[in-house]
Amino acid sequence: MTLRKLDGKTLAEMFLQGAHHLKSNSQMIDALNVFPVPDGDTGTNMNLSMSSGAEEVKKVEEDHAGKVSQALAKGLLMGARGNSGVILSQLFRGFSKALEDKESITTKDFATALQGGVTTAYKAVMKPVEGTILTVAREAGEASAELAEKEEDFLPFIEGVVDAARTSLKGTPELLPVLKEVGVVDSGGQGLLTIYEGLLANLKGEELPEQSSTISMGDMVNAEHHKLAQDFMNTEDIEFGYCTEFMVKFEEDKLAETPYDEEAFRQTLSEHGDSLLVVSDEDLIKVHIHAEYPGNAMNLGQQYGSLINMKIENMREQHTSIVGEKKNTKPREKAEYGIVTVAMGEGIKKLFESLGASVVIQGGQTMNPSTQDISDAIVEAHANHVLILPNNKNITMAAEQAAELADVKAAVIPSKTIPQGMSALLGFNPEADISTNKEEMSSLMKHVKSGQITYAVRDTQIDGLSIEKGHFMGIFEGKISSAQKDKLETSKALLKEMIDEEEDEIVTVITGEKVDEQEIEALEAYLEEHFEDIEVEIHNGGQPIYSFIFSVE
Amino acid sequence: MSVDLSTKFGHITISNEVISTVAGGAAVECYGIVGMASKNQLRDGIAEMLRRENFLRGVVVRQEEEKLHIDMYIIVSYGTKISEVAHNVQSQVKYTLNKTVGLSVSSVNIFIQGVRVISE
Repeated sequence: MTLRKLDGKTLAEMFLQGAHHLKSNSQMIDALNVFPVPDGDTGTNMNLSMSSGAEEVKKVEEDHAGKVSQALAKGLLMGARGNSGVILSQLFRGFSKALEDKESITTKDFATALQGGVTTAYKAVMKPVEGTILTVAREAGEASAELAEKEEDFLPFIEGVVDAARTSLKGTPELLPVLKEVGVVDSGGQGLLTIYEGLLANLKGEELPEQSSTISMGDMVNAEHHKLAQDFMNTEDIEFGYCTEFMVKFEEDKLAETPYDEEAFRQTLSEHGDSLLVVSDEDLIKVHIHAEYPGNAMNLGQQYGSLINMKIENMREQHTSIVGEKKNTKPREKAEYGIVTVAMGEGIKKLFESLGASVVIQGGQTMNPSTQDISDAIVEAHANHVLILPNNKNITMAAEQAAELADVKAAVIPSKTIPQGMSALLGFNPEADISTNKEEMSSLMKHVKSGQITYAVRDTQIDGLSIEKGHFMGIFEGKISSAQKDKLETSKALLKEMIDEEEDEIVTVITGEKVDEQEIEALEAYLEEHFEDIEVEIHNGGQPIYSFIFSVE
Repeated sequence: MSVDLSTKFGHITISNEVISTVAGGAAVECYGIVGMASKNQLRDGIAEMLRRENFLRGVVVRQEEEKLHIDMYIIVSYGTKISEVAHNVQSQVKYTLNKTVGLSVSSVNIFIQGVRVISE
């Protein structure tokens, strides 16, 4: 039988079967979805769009091919969901435009319509991405033009179009690297091919199987896994720890008791995990799921028959070994030496850590850590010998107490300032015993001169200076040496007093949290200009209260 | 303006230009967008479509406290479902920014500045 003319009624039936075939494959298409946003909804979106189109087609009573196509296009436009749905609506908008006045159509008309759809679809995109539904539509459209030249019979014609679409779809991984990486074809393209297959099946009067044979379960599992890998994931974030795959072989007596319903089964399983795939035919169900309790998922499957080909992998183990952060379960070995120090400000904390401190307690002038805090830090340092640098005279007592209470050998190096603590640390010798270290480090810290810049919180008279609230004070070794309105001028005066050009070599500036770039630059310029033989080091300490901490040695 | 990220190795500063380039690039790959429009279009009253090289004028990155908001001014193709195209742009931009710069965007606001009608 040859079919040279397609009337409206036949076309409508073809569309309906195309929509139906898409619907029964939408889950599979979802699983293929890796591009552009791997959220696994291409199949669902296309199905919802196409279903809306099909609803409109059903309303058409006239036997008019143009009107039928128009109804489809209108339904698609209204129901368009997602990127693929919008593209689909454009393809059929162009399609219907070309057939507007045709009561019945020939293969040539159909080919023109397909190409019209492609043209319209391409117009609506700024940067067409090849290797997607657009490519499949275009290549099938091109093939249809050639086919229509020599073929007037619809059956071989549509067969040729479907073949071209299938070939084009197979080529999509070559055009789009993300597809090749995962080893899948484009999901939108697959959706379009599925619709075309539906059209063809209707012409042939065939019933189509629920699942398209072009995709294997393996491909879908790959795609599901890829979706997860694209997330930025920490091992702790894996909610469902076991990648579980199994098949259920249906058994008559079990089915008699519990009839199988794929949709319901999928729904039930989805409560047990994610990355779920369920595929079934007359004899088998294949299941892939990431579950926390794989046994529960399998129990559910066992209601319908016996389990075969089971595979369970622990994804947390896999993930930790992949990211190389395999947790060491053995207790951490005790170090020979541990160093506990006290500091304020993130930057200073980091400076101390870089100098070798094992534990830095946050604290200082206005926030003295307690004996307990220091004791805890000694334990945390986890060492046979612990050296404590309080960096503040108010903390020395607490540190001494904590050292006495400690279960390990501990000694306090009575540093009074941050610069003292830092120079003391430089003298640390891991080879020497604790008393030698204490002696060496204590003597080293005496070689450093410490200065600080801070502001007055009230008017006062001290050390022969009258200070107004809000003025800046330069403190040299615990004594206020200058107080001025300007931060920079105070700093300069303090530095001038601290630095002895004959003896000193290095000035270290630790900047506080309320200091801006310009101030730092100005200070640096001043130092370079007035003390040209002296090396200047600037660190961001981020400490509160003290705008600058100076260390001169 | 820029976005700062702290990692265990140090700081990463990402300028707003980078964010708007990535967002704009992601948007124009979306189906249904035929162009980016200048954000000043309303004021100018001129339906000016931006050329590819300066479509970033149609992307505004705003930072409010810790949150990142993106405003995009786009022109869509006639005959598409506009709400859906806009929604696609939103999810695409959000996803791409998260994937490429590890940024989580609080909102992607779409301003449809025009519809381009193509002769059929």
